[in-house]
Amino acid sequence: MGETIRTVVADDHYLVREGTRRLLEMSGEVDVVGAVGDADELLDAVRRLRPDVVVTDIRMPGGQWRQGFEGIDAAHRLHEEHPGLGIVVLSQYSDALFALELFKHGTEGFAYLLKDRVGDLDELLGAIRAVASGGSVIDPKVVEGLLDRHDVRGEHEALTPRERDVLREMAHGRSNGAIARALHLSVSSVEKNVNSIFTKLGLENSADVHRRVAAVLAYLRP
Amino acid sequence: MRTNLGAALLALLAAAGLTTGALLESTGPWQWTFIAVGLILPALGWLLAARRPEVRYGWLLLATAVCFGLGILGVGLAVRGVGFGAPLAAVIAVFYGLSWVFVPLLFPEGRLPSRRWRPVAWLAGVAIAVHFAGTALAPVVPGGSVEASAPAAPAGAWASGIGQVVTWIMAMVVLGGLVVRWRRSERPERGQYAWILAGAVANQVGFVLLAFFNVGLGLPVFGAIGLVAVLTALPGAMVVAIVRHRLLDVRVGIRGSRVLLVFDVRPTVGEVLSSLGPALEGDPEPVAQLGRLASAVRTGLDTRWAAVTLADGRRVVSGREEGPAALTQPVRGGLGRIECGPRDRGRLYDEDRRFLEALAVPAGLAIQGAGLATRLVNAQEAERRRIERNIHDGVQQQLVALIAGIELARATGGDAETLGLLREQARQTLDDLRELAAGIHPSALSQGGLVEAVEERCSRLPVPTRVFAGRELRAERFPDEIEGAMYFTVSEAVANALKHARAATIEVRLAKAGGRLSVTVRDDGQGFDAGARGGLATLADRLDALGGGLELDSEQGKGTRVNAWVPVDG
Repeated sequence: MGETIRTVVADDHYLVREGTRRLLEMSGEVDVVGAVGDADELLDAVRRLRPDVVVTDIRMPGGQWRQGFEGIDAAHRLHEEHPGLGIVVLSQYSDALFALELFKHGTEGFAYLLKDRVGDLDELLGAIRAVASGGSVIDPKVVEGLLDRHDVRGEHEALTPRERDVLREMAHGRSNGAIARALHLSVSSVEKNVNSIFTKLGLENSADVHRRVAAVLAYLRP
Repeated sequence: MRTNLGAALLALLAAAGLTTGALLESTGPWQWTFIAVGLILPALGWLLAARRPEVRYGWLLLATAVCFGLGILGVGLAVRGVGFGAPLAAVIAVFYGLSWVFVPLLFPEGRLPSRRWRPVAWLAGVAIAVHFAGTALAPVVPGGSVEASAPAAPAGAWASGIGQVVTWIMAMVVLGGLVVRWRRSERPERGQYAWILAGAVANQVGFVLLAFFNVGLGLPVFGAIGLVAVLTALPGAMVVAIVRHRLLDVRVGIRGSRVLLVFDVRPTVGEVLSSLGPALEGDPEPVAQLGRLASAVRTGLDTRWAAVTLADGRRVVSGREEGPAALTQPVRGGLGRIECGPRDRGRLYDEDRRFLEALAVPAGLAIQGAGLATRLVNAQEAERRRIERNIHDGVQQQLVALIAGIELARATGGDAETLGLLREQARQTLDDLRELAAGIHPSALSQGGLVEAVEERCSRLPVPTRVFAGRELRAERFPDEIEGAMYFTVSEAVANALKHARAATIEVRLAKAGGRLSVTVRDDGQGFDAGARGGLATLADRLDALGGGLELDSEQGKGTRVNAWVPVDG
């Protein structure tokens, strides 16, 4: 195992904060260097501790932040101050509105995960690794909601179930090879699906991992 | 009613005088035509005076018609040799004066066009009086010559002549003024003046023809045309002007196959209210309700626009607002005001002001209702947001923590102690969820009723609390909205007592008497400023919507008493 990822955890709920901290530490991949209870403390901790990644709750009442958007606003501020920092926002909202708010200035180094992912350590660690290396992740449930919304609007040709699966994996920031492994497909089949998705969405293919997520998001944005 | 009777009597007097006088003179077919034509004026006067008693013009027409009728009666009596017939016939002089000068001058509302016309009016009035007096003193007997036997005949003849000439000059001045008014006026008024001007000119032409005939210069047909012109030109022109231009709210309407003169183009207050009521009920949206109100005012008064403005500055306009308001009416209780713009044609009368005043009462109620509805909707939204926040920050977070704990236990092969802790966490979550559900709607309330729920709520308080309620009340159930409003009033009041007033004991009394269900919450706390009602304000609105009310009696250091009541059956 290589170097551990230095992480700060922020959540206003004590049990959630402690649970997340202990889970991450148990994995051995992550070193939790700080655990804080609100957005102001988070900014302060990052300045002092210089972590690689921040895992923050979306909502932490208090301070001069937009109510209900404290985590997202703090994430944007942190991204400005520390360009290389990876940020995972944990949220109770599966509503795409909040994800789009997080990704509104760009996707690089940002992940938007639903909070129940704390019960799925692999998923959480995957997102931390992705943002640590500048990638981006959106929770599959959120992507599903976005796709449904676009189907309702009838704005583009509907994707096949297989293409939806591939798009969801793309939203995770995965490469074609990783998608092929996850879906038990051949790499060439994944490529075909990706091309078909981009054709249907009217987007150009791109090898760049986080740019693919960005493109998907840009298209899905309401 | 009395004015209606007065108008009818005057019209009847005019018609009777005209008919009797004409028939006394002769009974040929020509006389019947004369009578028929002559009746137009009293009929028009009666319609206007009866329907629009506040407009003086109708009364002026009636007076003119009465002079005409009496004069013709006088002529008829004189022909039959009745002594006072000839002096009575002199009233014709007043008829001429009025129809030459005042009928065109005061058209259409019975007012002088401006103060500058006052001397003309006075001069004409004096001239008409002189003309009348002179003619009465030196009556012209049928045949055209002055009765020389009358003692004052020469003076009378002079006075009559001078009076008539001056009256005629004044008539010309008025005619000139009418021409000026006609040329200066804008489009809609222009048409009205054109008609009345044509009528006045035709009247004068008719008079000239009649004069020629009377002095033996014209053919008999001149006399006939002249007489008809004198009698019909002005009333006919007025009918057309009034009906065509909807002056005085009169127009021709077609109902079924009949063509009718329709008065009161505007609906009455009663009609507006009876159509507005269901419309307001059918439209629960407060702003839409105000819109309906504004539109009712606009159609009711037939104005270009109407607006309802609330005290908080909200404004709903029907029609396109232009220029300043012609009428403004404050709404009962300082809740706002109703305004309306001018009419397309004609002006707004006192009657219209009264109409608006009458409408302001239900308008006030509608505005009050709309305000209450808005506050209730807002309060409901705020409550939902509060519940969402509570679920989000409370139970949802606890479940996340539980999931994290379970994942941790799974990965580490959790021991008995860890699992025991997780079970406690789950129980705590369940308790919190129960509390939350009770805050939304306590199950004790739906299952056991008001008293049961109040007792349940008070039994969980950290200070000694007594609940007093009659035995029969304990078993009684009320509609959901009443039980809900009363329960949450108690809940809020005791919460206030604990939070703000730091009470040591609390007493809750529930009672039903005189068709009222009431609850009183009393505490011995430090009291607070009664202006700051907090959550009770929302509850007061809720009680208000049920027809009840809430009183708060609190003084620093003397405890607090909250009394709430709603009407109930029985």
